[in-house]
Amino acid sequence: MNVAQQLVNGVIIGHAYALVAVGWTLLLGAARLVNFGHGQMYMIGAFVAWWVMAATGLPYPVAVVAAVLLGAVLGAVMQRLFLRLTLSQDLVSLMIVTLGFGQALEGAAGLAFGPKPQTLASPFQEMSVHLGPVWFTVQDAILVSATILVFAGLYLALHRSWLGAAVRMVAEDPRLTTLGGLRVSRIYMGIFAFEGAAVAFAAALVAPRTPILTSMGFDQVVMTFVVVVLGGIGSVLGSYVAGLGIGLFTALFGALVSPAYTTAAVFALLIAAMVLRPGALSASGSFAR
Amino acid sequence: MSARLEIGGLRVAYGQAEGVAVDRLVVEPGTLAGVIGANGAGKSTLINAVANWSRAEPRISGSVRLDGEELTGLSADQHVRRGVQLVPEGRGVFMGLSVEENLKAVARPSGGHGGRSYAVEDVYALFPRLRERRTNLAGSLSGGERQMLAVGRALRMAPKLLLLDEPSIGLAPRLVSTLLATIRELVEGGLTVLLVEQNVHAAAEVTDVLHLLERGRVVATGTVAEMRNDPRIVEAYLGASHG
Repeated sequence: MNVAQQLVNGVIIGHAYALVAVGWTLLLGAARLVNFGHGQMYMIGAFVAWWVMAATGLPYPVAVVAAVLLGAVLGAVMQRLFLRLTLSQDLVSLMIVTLGFGQALEGAAGLAFGPKPQTLASPFQEMSVHLGPVWFTVQDAILVSATILVFAGLYLALHRSWLGAAVRMVAEDPRLTTLGGLRVSRIYMGIFAFEGAAVAFAAALVAPRTPILTSMGFDQVVMTFVVVVLGGIGSVLGSYVAGLGIGLFTALFGALVSPAYTTAAVFALLIAAMVLRPGALSASGSFAR
Repeated sequence: MSARLEIGGLRVAYGQAEGVAVDRLVVEPGTLAGVIGANGAGKSTLINAVANWSRAEPRISGSVRLDGEELTGLSADQHVRRGVQLVPEGRGVFMGLSVEENLKAVARPSGGHGGRSYAVEDVYALFPRLRERRTNLAGSLSGGERQMLAVGRALRMAPKLLLLDEPSIGLAPRLVSTLLATIRELVEGGLTVLLVEQNVHAAAEVTDVLHLLERGRVVATGTVAEMRNDPRIVEAYLGASHG
């Protein structure tokens, strides 16, 4: 086994996990909300990017921007649809309606894009970089850099900007936030729009690595759930570290044991972590870490 | 000229229970009015209803007017943007934000609705202790510092009417007098304040008018001097030595 290559693969997959999860991390950290339609929004992001390229012939970067914009709109629409549930923080109902919303997206995508697997063809996927014993594609390099930029940008925005302070206020005490003269529902809408835009961005960057199917949403939501929970619910840096760790774990587990049992092994890891260090996984109540 | 605050026929109910029934309560501009009463008399319910703010979901009916303008039906954040600013009991600041962030992250009045607008520096001038602790998290402040921060944060939004819910709670007596003296100074500077206090002694030192609330109803209203001669007040709240 080429250990160095497996480590490189792990780092790339890990950044992909982290980027797919970043929107949910903010959603959970700031709004204490869940979105089990997250995986289907990932799928929609990938298919919109594919459709823009296939139907209009526009280049890949334009398709990425289109997917991000549509993702943001989709997120904002979700918040409007589930406004009452988001404001009353009715988590159980929200879990069910977002699951349903995801299924509706999947059904609509099946009708619109057909059942066949498609390829989101990024030109950067064809360019590879060879460094001694390891190699990766330019697409991989873009994915890793973009993930680092998104996480660093989110962290700085949360801690250095007025808007970030507003998001942390909503995370801590939505009722008290209204006494600052702020419209809480607008802040929630911004958070949902970010969630939608971030997952669509992740999809547009990650999806060129593999064929895309309208049924691929569920796997994504499962992995995102593990990343967010292991990262310490709502912690931005925690999600990055968890994504990277799970990426390395799956790459090495796949190479050393068997790729078939990777998902099961990740869940075993999650259960072990929950049993051994339950305190570290609970909602931190702030973005301190 | 209409009163700064005019409450008429206000009814606030939680579930089946009627918490507050106030037929009339008026606060004149530039004065400090106090609402006193025992624990559970409905003081917080009343002042929260004026701002249409609550952690529960009360049913509110009746009329609340600011300078003659009806506020009923407006949301809590709309009250703030019209100049009605509540500092709620206990937790009025964000523990996970620094002192300075607490002061900065508010909706500043754009057009200005008449109240004095405080810059962050103005708040530090009023409460120098906050300047020393500007980079500390609010969660690390003492109770007195937190209360100063809550008041400072409220002033940032240029209130025409400041509603204070039990600012003295949990504070040492000396801090209570300092804080209330500062509130009095703000009133001398033109601010209008409605203060809810269980600490009747402290409230009587600084207020112009007192309203006594019992079981959700205003049972006595008068200037501090008048109230000092009211046997009900003296007996129940001030004690013989202060009569």
